[in-house]
Amino acid sequence: MARFVQSLLDGLGQGSIYALLALGVAVIFGVMHLLNFAHGELITVSGYVAYWGFLQGFSWTILVPLIVATAVITSVLIEQVAFRWVRGASDFTLLLTSFGVHFVVEALFLMYVSASVKSFDRPGWITDTIAIGPVTIETVDLLVIAATAITLGLTVLILQRTMFGLALRAAAEDFDAARLMGVRSDRVIRGAFALAGLLAGVAAVFWLMRAGQTTPGAGLTPMLKGVLAALIGGLGSLRGAVIGGFALGIAEVLLRQWLPGAVEGLTDGFVFVLIALLFIFRPQGLITVSHAERV
Amino acid sequence: MSRRMVLAMLAAFALLVAACGSDSDESDSADTETEAEATDDTAAEDTATDDTAAETEDDAAGDDSAEDTGDEGDAAPAAGAVDIDAVLAADLDNCAEAPSGEPIRVGMAMDFGEVSGFADIPGSEAVTHLADLVNCTGGVNGSPVEVRVSDIQGDPEVTASVTQELLDFGSHFLIGPPFADFGQPVLQVTGGQVPVFFAASTEPSLPNVAANSFLVSFDDTAQATAAAEFALERGFTRAVTFSSPGPYFGYNPQVFTQVFEAGRGQVISDQTYTPVDQVDFSAQVNELTDMLEGNEVVYSAMLAFQVTALRGQFEGQGLDSLTYLGTDAFEATGILAETPESTEGIYHTTHAFAEPGGRIETLLNSYEATTGEALESGTFAGLYADALFLGIQAINDCACTDPAEIGTAVAGISGFNGFTGEMSYAGTNGIPNKPVSIHQLVGGEDTLVVNWEL
Repeated sequence: MARFVQSLLDGLGQGSIYALLALGVAVIFGVMHLLNFAHGELITVSGYVAYWGFLQGFSWTILVPLIVATAVITSVLIEQVAFRWVRGASDFTLLLTSFGVHFVVEALFLMYVSASVKSFDRPGWITDTIAIGPVTIETVDLLVIAATAITLGLTVLILQRTMFGLALRAAAEDFDAARLMGVRSDRVIRGAFALAGLLAGVAAVFWLMRAGQTTPGAGLTPMLKGVLAALIGGLGSLRGAVIGGFALGIAEVLLRQWLPGAVEGLTDGFVFVLIALLFIFRPQGLITVSHAERV
Repeated sequence: MSRRMVLAMLAAFALLVAACGSDSDESDSADTETEAEATDDTAAEDTATDDTAAETEDDAAGDDSAEDTGDEGDAAPAAGAVDIDAVLAADLDNCAEAPSGEPIRVGMAMDFGEVSGFADIPGSEAVTHLADLVNCTGGVNGSPVEVRVSDIQGDPEVTASVTQELLDFGSHFLIGPPFADFGQPVLQVTGGQVPVFFAASTEPSLPNVAANSFLVSFDDTAQATAAAEFALERGFTRAVTFSSPGPYFGYNPQVFTQVFEAGRGQVISDQTYTPVDQVDFSAQVNELTDMLEGNEVVYSAMLAFQVTALRGQFEGQGLDSLTYLGTDAFEATGILAETPESTEGIYHTTHAFAEPGGRIETLLNSYEATTGEALESGTFAGLYADALFLGIQAINDCACTDPAEIGTAVAGISGFNGFTGEMSYAGTNGIPNKPVSIHQLVGGEDTLVVNWEL
């Protein structure tokens, strides 16, 4: 039982980051019908800014807001530079554009920075643990769970209690109708990318704290996890994205912990088998989304 | 609409430019205006390789081979040995007369992407710089060295076409990328016609004398064996391995386990993990905490930031007396960028120790003085430098220019004293006999513990 609780807590810690990433993917999908494969680049760019900050001697107290700000600015910039020009295009064009952004960002870092790993210090407390009976909890897991809860709470507040949130939800429901009612598409889309950037920024802080390094392709894995979690939850559903993130994190840890040694190496494969099974029985994901109009 | 048109036209123009640009960056094409006179030095001195020349000439790759090929017109460079130190001492501002003989062409199929860039970028930079230095000293027996570097773009199909281009260029030997995914396409195209050096590869499936395929480093079997023997010699009897199924990340721990257990050690657990990506080892650490006594050695082929992340999590659980032993991947990913506390005491196997005043350090200094930039990895640059000079040595040994004959000469090399130590191919299947350097991080500095002889 203690082992199960331990795995559950580890999974919640991992899943929290996935949830933040998935929520960003879901927000963008909600307003643009764009499955944003460039979402991971927010972590890549933030990683290099963290590396630069580390070289300047910045502590994590400075790096944290710097990483979040970088992710927000990068997200808005990507929208302005790439997605703005293909807003009315087909889903396929949007998808290709997001792939294009992913490859361009990666190539820029390869060409102008380095193909090698760039390491920086992790915070000293990153591996501290707290023992509660037989269960050991990493401080960072507690922190990431708490930060995720606060960020999700704030996101709900923004979406439910602000004009921007109302406009965003209205745009996600029916963009044309929202525009007819006076919602400004530019502002909503830019705001959606800023919000997605904020969520990715918080995820990037914890991802980078653990990783302590970055590479030109650093954003690929978090992007895949975020997209997968969003798909599991039901693409376009904000609630589903969060549930999908936690489900993915917990499934990964539980499988790694409980699979027999001989097939333990196939953990990732089993995760995909579970996802495939889910889509056989619930093709729409865990949460059914009634509307997901594109801009 | 008009802005979209402009953007579309710009994009189309960019694509056109990219398409017209060559994949191949011809990095050096030495001027050959006059007969080189400064070749006496290069031909005379290197004592370590004189024997090789003699042996090879006795073999099938003898004098006839130059006549057989007849592909260059000019006479092949005369037999002799390469004086690497004289090359390193060259002053590019004060060169000997430019060599005018038929060029020695070196093709480099390199991956500048994230997968192999850690080795192929500094390696290709080192080789092109060294070619400049060789030409500055009058070339190899009057022949300039021409290096063509082509980017395989991390794609096996591009690798195959790039290899064909390098063969069409007339390469006398090739230097290939580190991993088998790209190395095999190179070998499929060369079909054994041209010797290929996989400078930074430790992949046991690549070398094959019959296919003229050679490693420049030891292979994974050697480095894992050395690690296990070293651990046993240090008195460790318990070990934990971290592995991932497949070559390298799985193969090294597998060999380590075999050798360690054959030496009366016990591997108490093998934990799987995701190479390159995973930095949260909570699940594995929690599972191991109750099993470990604290006197174990933790062996894996993890990258540096993964080892330090794993170590941090073990220490967070109070397991702060474990000993960590890694492979050459540990060095490939910037160990010195990690904090000294996180790397303190970690052992790893690697290819060479860049001792003060040694050839690798001299190469690094020379490159920086010339270009104003530093090579990212001295060890990997050293391996590529060795590949270049092994090829040149083989050409000298066989006094031939036929690539197949050059390959035969490579297979006969023994006692070659290069940048990463002394190595021999004679009697091997393309994996040089050379010691495995075992290093330890002490106070943030990589220090040599022992050169392990197998």
